[in-house]
Amino acid sequence: MIKAENLFFSYTGNAPYVLENINFEIKNGEYVSVVGENGSGKSTLMKLILRFLKPTRGDISTQSKRIGYVPQKSENVNLGFPITVYEMLDSYRKLLKIKDKSVVEESLKIAGLSGLSSLLVGNLSGGQYQKALIARSLIGWPDLLILDEPSTGVDAESQKDIYSLIKRLNTERGITVVSVEHNLDAAISNSTLIYHLANSRGHICTPEQYTEEYLNPERKHSRHA
Amino acid sequence: MLSYDFMQNAFVVSFFISLLCPCIGIFLVLRRYSMIGDTLSHASLAGVTLGLMCGQNPVLSAFIFTSVCGALIEYLRKYFKKHTDLILSIVLALSVGIAITIISSGKLHANADSFMFGSILTVTQFDMAMVIILSVISVIALILLYHRLLYIAYDEDAARVAGVRVELINYIFSILVASAISVSIRIVGVLVLSSMIALPVATALQFEKGFKQTLMLSVLFSMIDILSGLFISYYLNVAPGGFTALMSVAVLAAVMLAKKLSHRAKSGACS
Repeated sequence: MIKAENLFFSYTGNAPYVLENINFEIKNGEYVSVVGENGSGKSTLMKLILRFLKPTRGDISTQSKRIGYVPQKSENVNLGFPITVYEMLDSYRKLLKIKDKSVVEESLKIAGLSGLSSLLVGNLSGGQYQKALIARSLIGWPDLLILDEPSTGVDAESQKDIYSLIKRLNTERGITVVSVEHNLDAAISNSTLIYHLANSRGHICTPEQYTEEYLNPERKHSRHA
Repeated sequence: MLSYDFMQNAFVVSFFISLLCPCIGIFLVLRRYSMIGDTLSHASLAGVTLGLMCGQNPVLSAFIFTSVCGALIEYLRKYFKKHTDLILSIVLALSVGIAITIISSGKLHANADSFMFGSILTVTQFDMAMVIILSVISVIALILLYHRLLYIAYDEDAARVAGVRVELINYIFSILVASAISVSIRIVGVLVLSSMIALPVATALQFEKGFKQTLMLSVLFSMIDILSGLFISYYLNVAPGGFTALMSVAVLAAVMLAKKLSHRAKSGACS
């Protein structure tokens, strides 16, 4: 589904690289959380997958028919934009050249926003807004869903709803999920794999391995002693 | 008043201005690019002076030169990624420099003042034909590109993921902005043209509606501003550009006041 081979990236085109010698393969149906400190290159990797950026060296490719993208809430600064939830989804449907109007209502229903379609996007709560972005990403049934910190600016209760929705899309509909995460608890409980980025390099592991390696290093050391 | 030929011409041109300016303006305002409208309206003066100097139709020359400046702004974005505000200063310096140099050279075969302040009397049949052609083409382009322009303004990354060719649409949009400006300079004038692009949209935004309704309200307020400005300026014998700008400020102020009073009445009824 997504394959990175000897991937290097820097914004200047030269060293130091933001991402260095990145190699991974994400198979269909996986739920991968990309974690790491601020500035570790998580968002850059996401932009490379989305082809917003081109690799400086190496290659990254996706075998996806349609990508659904859920941006980070804080990046979408224009919350004063006069657009209703329905318009946001319906215009996106038209961009994708999908004739069937019912996909909009269906996406809203899956995201639990059926009654809110006439509200202005700027009047939604953080959680509702994030669900609206997920609903939009479902238009046209993507086989790959890319999310950028889906719990940013969302209260604890809505976070549960959002992660449960993403997990359902992954398990019930088989959508491959790649989620840039700062919420480690959510990454560990929901993902099938975790991609950890540090010092420009990354490695893939299971949530259990990640917990053992990075969150309980003392336990690991005492066991080895 | 409408029995005069020049007023009929002015009325037709004003109708198209009031249709085209808010349709372009809503995308500029929502992308926080209102100052591009101001810069390109100044650029159109250079186009007018170049046209008058070469003995060509000033509306046509303004359209061509303003389109080039619009494309230049898009092109320079790649070079000044961290200082995008500088781009407008560069284009402004180039165009105002050309305009002032040509005007002060004394080589103009006509008076450029009417393009600064706007004039009802100077709209010729050829101007009117140019305005109608540019307006019709622009409105068709806007209808065809509506959803793409909406998404580029609202969420450019999502537009890219959906396969929109953002750079290409931005270049086409800069030509549409040039078209709206060229259509408007005869009546409204360069100095207050940006207010015709931004103020009806600002008034419509007060109603806090969805995009389509905001666009329709922008066109409605634009028609009120420009047509009332045209008729009243005729009776007061003043330049229509200045008075239209005053009308647009007055309508915005009236809507803001009505909104405030309505909020107060609602909160009074609740308590």
